[in-house]
Order: sequence, then structure tokens, then C-alpha cells
Amino acid sequence: MTDAQDDLTQNLLELVAREGMVELSDISPEKRLEDLDIQSADFVMILMALEEEYGVYISVDNDLADVETVQDILTLAKTKIEEHQKENQE
Amino acid sequence: MKRIVVTGQGAVSSCGIGAQALWHAARDGISGVKPVTFEDIENQRVSEAAVLSVEDRAKVDDIMGPHRMRDPFATWAILAAREAVGQAGLDTGDFGDRCGVVIGSGFGGGTTLDQNYMSFGKERKMRLDPMAIPKIMNNAAASWVSMEFGATGPVYCPSTACSSGSQAIGLGVQLLRAGAMDRCLVGGSEVSVVAGVFRVWELLRVMTAGKNRPFSKDRNGMTLGEGAAVLVLETLESAQARGAEILCEIAGFGTNSDAGDLLRPNSDRAVACMQLALADAGLGPEDIGYVNAHGTGTVANDITEATALRGVFGDDLSGLEVSSTKPIHGHCLGSAGALELIVALNALREQIAPPTINFNEIDPKIGLEPVPNVSKPISTKAVMSNSLAFGGINATLVVKTFE
Repeated sequence: MTDAQDDLTQNLLELVAREGMVELSDISPEKRLEDLDIQSADFVMILMALEEEYGVYISVDNDLADVETVQDILTLAKTKIEEHQKENQE
Repeated sequence: MKRIVVTGQGAVSSCGIGAQALWHAARDGISGVKPVTFEDIENQRVSEAAVLSVEDRAKVDDIMGPHRMRDPFATWAILAAREAVGQAGLDTGDFGDRCGVVIGSGFGGGTTLDQNYMSFGKERKMRLDPMAIPKIMNNAAASWVSMEFGATGPVYCPSTACSSGSQAIGLGVQLLRAGAMDRCLVGGSEVSVVAGVFRVWELLRVMTAGKNRPFSKDRNGMTLGEGAAVLVLETLESAQARGAEILCEIAGFGTNSDAGDLLRPNSDRAVACMQLALADAGLGPEDIGYVNAHGTGTVANDITEATALRGVFGDDLSGLEVSSTKPIHGHCLGSAGALELIVALNALREQIAPPTINFNEIDPKIGLEPVPNVSKPISTKAVMSNSLAFGGINATLVVKTFE
């Protein structure tokens, strides 16, 4: 993993902690969101922050259907950010 | 029990002005969804909605003229009501105390609300619209329709999000059966595709940034819409005494609540709701040949609704066609149930199940092929329309061929 990716991962973890209102120290990629007590109202806050900071729109729908863990959110966010950056370059 | 029949229908929607414009678009799979841009939304993420075309907006303005006391949601309701009343052939003497109005809305005067908040918040204007309150109130459409025709019977305005229109029709049926009136103008109106409202829908993230694809494996959310629909309901005695042409019979209505979650639907409660409507109609599931589904195209709704349909109609849903026409007229919230009942009753009259357009692939979690992309002939004497609203409010209507 490059440094830039490490930074992105760390920033995303901080974003999930801040918007999901959980301690950063409690969060790790394999943790299930349910176990962190991150619920639908917290989800939309996380997605709003992703839009504000990275310009990506993720609907609470098919995009999120298989999201169960923190890692799932990180993967989804990174995929969307990459797509968004590619679109902007085109 | 008194039988309740439909003698007139009227609509204003992204598919055009008139109930037939809506039905033909639904039947032929021609979508009213268009690009929308709001200058007050920075970096707008969702770029389409089922709104009236510029030409149709101009046509409405032309017919109805400017009015200082009416928001578009009231104006469109009047226009739809005029069409329905014209078709029903109601005369001045047919209104009065024996005619009521039940027209629902989710947001009320969304345009006026948005404009005034923008002026107040952004420009700090103190000179706002002094008629904002009576224009915004949810019952304005129902009240304006009552004034238009001199319908001095009971007026109600259900505001139950996406079930408002269906509940308005159902409540009208119940009031007519109870003898509170002989005829009633029922329906819904919603014109809330405006910047502020659109932005908070974006933030709720249930709208797709692409195409609306109900029941399709790749569905990713709904598309907002706007419109108004009004029907003339009458007791059978009233319609026959006037010698009116009867379009169909509203045979059954069921409504209940989940009392569970504000946003997440509950399939058991949707089953119970459809069963209530069937029992009310005195029909069995085998009598229904087509269901116009709520079918928003969100993961949560479509799985819940398909599960519920299996609970009512059996696991293989054999002999039943199900489709969602929302990709055509959009999700019109408070008028959705009324617009969709117009689609359903015309499907019954023409014996054609309208398609679910934009459908790509069966979702194994749903296993339903919802009349994909092209309409299908049906042979049935009864159809159903579902509304499953935020707030956990379900409403089902059953329409029957009049015999």
C-alpha cells in the first residue's frame, strides 16, 4: 500500500468515527458496523461527509446493500472516490 | 354495503396534461423523467426527476393564469379536477353538501415554501409573500377544489407521505359508503421538486444518481416526480340516477400501519394491508390479475414488497402480473397513489399490464420479472394498487370491472 493510500485509509477511518460518533480507538477494519452501533441515521451522516470531503454520491441502496463491516465502507468509499477522480480527469 | 364507482379521472404529470397522457405513457413505456438543474444546489448529485416539460408548465399557466393565492400544487389539483368533473358530466346541482373533497399532499405548497425560505434566509428579505401561509398549507389543494365547484360537503386532506393519495381515495370510499355524501372528488397533489426539498432528498440518499430500475438487480434508488390526480367517486345510486358512464368500481380499500420504523418497511404489515383490501372487496388473491406495485426501486422497498406479494398471492405469483410505473411518472409522493390508481384502472379497462421500464436483470433476492420493459396483455376483472409510505403507513386499493 502506498503512503497516499495509507493516508486515505486513515482519513476515512477518522471520518467514520467522527460521523458515526464512535471512538477512533474502537474502530478497526474488521469490526461490524452493527457491533459499533452505527445505525441508518449515522450512515447518512457518514455518506454526507464523504460527499463533502471527496465529492462522491453514494445512495443508501444497492451501493450499500452488502456493507457490513468498516472495511466494506472503506472499500466502497475508495472505489467511489477513484471513479469520481477518473470522471474528473476525463 | 353501498357500491362505489369511478365516473371521472384527471391528471397533470410529467407525462403531460390529462389522464390519458399519463396512461398512454405508462402503457407505452415512455418516461416523463427529464434532466433537472437547480442553481441553488452546489454540486448537484442527482440530475433527473419526472417534472412537467417547459411547454406543459406554460400550458398550465396559460389555462389557469397567474393567481396570488395559489401554489402550483393547488392549481394542478384544480386542473386535474376539472378534467375529472368534465368526464363525469357533473353539473352545478351535483355539488353542494352532498359532494365532498378528499385530496392529499405530502408537502403542500413546496414551491412557495422554498421561494420564501430562500428569500428570507439567503437575501434576508422581509418583504416575503404575505399569502405564503394559505398557499403552503397542505389542505390548500382540497380547499381550492371545493371552492372551484361549490362542493360544500366534508373536506379532508390526508398527509401521510407516499400513501396520501391512496388514503385520500380510500377515505372517500369509506365516507361514501357511510352515507356522508353521494359523490366525492378524491386524489392527491404534489409539486415539490424544488431546490431545498430536492437537496434534502439527496441527503437522505434514497434517490438514484442514474436510472430508476424497480425490482431490477442493479436498482439503486428512486427518481422523484411531481403531479396531481383527481377522480370522481360516486355511490352507484348517484351515478345511475345521473345516467353517468361508469369507468370501474372501487371494490376494496385496506390501510394499516407498521408501528415499527419510520423508514424501513415491514413485509408482514404490507401482507396484512393487501389482505384487508381483498377482504373489503370480497375477492380472493386469485381474482387479481395485475398489481401496480409501490415499486420505488430502492433495495428496501422492492425486497419487502416482493416478499409481501408472495405472502398474499403465493410463492410463484402465478397468474399475476406485477409492475412499477414509477420510472415513467416518477415517485410523486403525496400524489403517487392517485396517479397510480389512474394507471391501474386504465390497465383494467384496456386489459394491458403496463411495463416496468429500465429493467435489466432479475434480482435473485426478489425473483420477480415485473412486466419488463414492454407491456403485456392481461385477462382479469380486478387489479390492485399499493402504496407503502415513510412513517410505516400502508394503503391498498382494489379496482374491479363494473358489472
